[in-house]
Amino acid sequence: MEAFLGGMALLLDPKILLVVFAGTLLGIVVGALPGISGSTTTALLLPFTITMGPVPAIAFLGAIYCAANFGGSITAILVNSPGDPSASATAFDGYPMALKGEAGRALGMSAVASAIGGIFSVVVLIFAAPLLARMAYSFGPPEYFALAVFGLSMVALSGGDSAVKNLIAGAFGVMLATVGQDITTGVERYTFGVYSFTDGIEFIPVLIGLFALTELLEQAAQLGKRTALAKLGAVRLPSWADVRKCGKAISLSSVLGTFIGVLPALGATTAAMIAYVETKRWSNNKQEFGKGAIEGVAGPEAANNAAVGGAMVPTLALGIPGSTTTAIILAGLLVQGVRPGPHLFTEQPMLLYAVFSSMLLANLLYLALGLGFAKLFARITLIPPQFLWPAVFVLSVIGAYAPNQAMAEVWVAIAFGFIGFFMRRFGFSPAPLVIGLVLGKLVEETLKQSLIIFDLSWGGFLGRPIALTLFGLTALFLLAPWALQRLRARP
Amino acid sequence: MSANRVAAAAVIAVAAALFALTFGFEKMPEGLSGGFGAEAFPRLVLGVIAALAVLLFVPGAQSEPQARIPAVVYYTAGSLLAFMALVPVAGMLGAMFVFLLGLGALWGERRAWLLLVASAAVMAAIWGVFVRGFAIQLPPGFWS
Repeated sequence: MEAFLGGMALLLDPKILLVVFAGTLLGIVVGALPGISGSTTTALLLPFTITMGPVPAIAFLGAIYCAANFGGSITAILVNSPGDPSASATAFDGYPMALKGEAGRALGMSAVASAIGGIFSVVVLIFAAPLLARMAYSFGPPEYFALAVFGLSMVALSGGDSAVKNLIAGAFGVMLATVGQDITTGVERYTFGVYSFTDGIEFIPVLIGLFALTELLEQAAQLGKRTALAKLGAVRLPSWADVRKCGKAISLSSVLGTFIGVLPALGATTAAMIAYVETKRWSNNKQEFGKGAIEGVAGPEAANNAAVGGAMVPTLALGIPGSTTTAIILAGLLVQGVRPGPHLFTEQPMLLYAVFSSMLLANLLYLALGLGFAKLFARITLIPPQFLWPAVFVLSVIGAYAPNQAMAEVWVAIAFGFIGFFMRRFGFSPAPLVIGLVLGKLVEETLKQSLIIFDLSWGGFLGRPIALTLFGLTALFLLAPWALQRLRARP
Repeated sequence: MSANRVAAAAVIAVAAALFALTFGFEKMPEGLSGGFGAEAFPRLVLGVIAALAVLLFVPGAQSEPQARIPAVVYYTAGSLLAFMALVPVAGMLGAMFVFLLGLGALWGERRAWLLLVASAAVMAAIWGVFVRGFAIQLPPGFWS
C-alpha cells in the first residue's frame, strides 16, 4: 500500500507530469500519422530516454504506447488509413460513419471506449501483475526457459503472413541475441572482429532500423498515394443512447483485449480484430456492421487500448513481452539496468506503481486531448511525406548514434532497415524478430542453467510440472491451428 | 519458383552459413563450458530454423507473386548510403542538411524555397535539442 501511495505521489512531481503529458501528446500525434506506429515511435525515442532515469523513461514510453492506439483511430475514421495497425478494425465502421457525416460521433465514441478499455486494463494490471509475480517467484531456470519458449511460440500467432514465417523470424531474433561473448565461456560468437559487437548487438539501432528505416523504404514504395480527409465536424461525447448501445461491446472488448494482451507476443492489433468479430457476433444490429455501426468503433477501440495494460502484465511480472511495443519498452528497461521479473515487485515497487499511475493518467489525458483537439490532430495527416520522412531519417540517425556516439551503430540501423524491408517483401514481420532478440539471452541463460541443474540431461524437464505444462501449452498453441485446418479440410 | 520457396531457400542458406561459422568458435575445455559449449545453443536454434524453412519450402507453392519494387525505393536506399559516405566529408549536420534537401527533391518536392526552409527548420531543431540540449558530439566533417 505504501508503495502504491508512493507511486501515486510521483504523479505530483511536475517532471513526471510533464513527461506523461508529452508522451501522451506525442503518442496521439504519431498514432495519427499513417506509417509511424506506437512501436516505431518508442523505438525511435528509446535512446533519448536513457538520460531520464527509469521512472520517467518508462512513464514516457508507456504514455506513448497508451495514446498511440487512440491516435491511430483518428486517421482510421477520417482517412480510412489507420495511423497505427491496431486501429485497422476501427476503420471498418469508423470510415463509413465519417462518410455519413458522423465523424465527430465516431471519434467521441473512440475516445471514450479507448479510455474505458485502457483504464480497465490498468486496474487489472495493478492487481494481476503482483499476483503473477508472486506465482513466478518460485520459478527456477527450467520454468523460465519453458516460459520463454512459450513466449516465443506465441509469435506464431502474432499476425503477419504465416505462423512458420513468424517462427523463423523469432528464431533469427534469438540468433541475433547470441552475437557477442558467450556468458559461460567468454568465447566470442559472430563478432567478425568488430569491437562493439563483443558485448552483443545493441537493441536500439536494430529497433530503429527495423521499424523507422524499414517504414521509410516502404513509404518510398507508396509515394503518390494521396489521402483525402473526411469532413470532421465537432467531436462530441457519446449520447446516452450511444452509451447504452455500446455498453456491451465496450465491456466485452475490454475483457477480451486485456486477456489477449496478457498472452505473450499478441498485442493490440490481434485484440482489436478479435473484438470486432466478437462485437458483431453478440450485437443485435449485425446488419449495420461495415456500413457505419458505432459498436464497430467502440469494440475494437476498447480492445486495443485494453491490450496495452494487459501486455504490460507479463512484461513487468515475468520479463516476457506481451507485444512488440512492450518488447521495446522491455529493451528500454534493460538498457536502464532494470531487469523486469518477479523480483522487481519486492526490489523496486515504487517504479512499478509509478508505471501504473502514469498509465492511468495517460488514459485520462488522451480522453481530454482527443475530445478537445481531434480536429487539430487530424490535420497532421496532411504533412507531405517528402517533408516528414526525411526528418524521420535524420531523427533515426541521431537515435542510433547518440547512446554510444558511434557511427557503427548507424550502419547497424541502416542494415536492419534494409533487412526489415526485404523481410516484409517476403511476408516476414519484423515484430517476431524483435521479440526473439529481447528473449534470446533469457532463453540461452536459462537453458544452460537448467542443463547444469539436470546434469546435462534433457529428461530433467520431465520432473518439473510447471515447465511441462508450459511446454504442453506451447505444443497446443503451435499445433492447434494446423490440426483445426486439417479437420476442416476433411470431406 | 514461388516467393515462399525463394524465402525458404534463402533462410536455409543463411542458416547453413551461420552454422558453418560455429566451427570457427574458440574451443574451451569441457569443464569450463559445462558440456554445453558456446557453439551448442546457436546450432540448436539454427537446426530449428532449418526445420521451419523446410516446412515453408515443402508446401510453399502457394504465394502471391512479388510486385516490382519501384525505382524510387532503390534511389532512397542509395541516398541512405550516400548520406553515410557524406558524413566523413561534410560532418553529420552537413550530411543531414544535404539529405533532407536531396530526399525531399527525390520524392517529388519541386518548391526549392520550401525545401530549404523546412530543411533549415529541422536542422535548427536537431542542433538546438541534441547538440545544445543533450550535448551530443556529432561527427565533424573533413571541412568542419
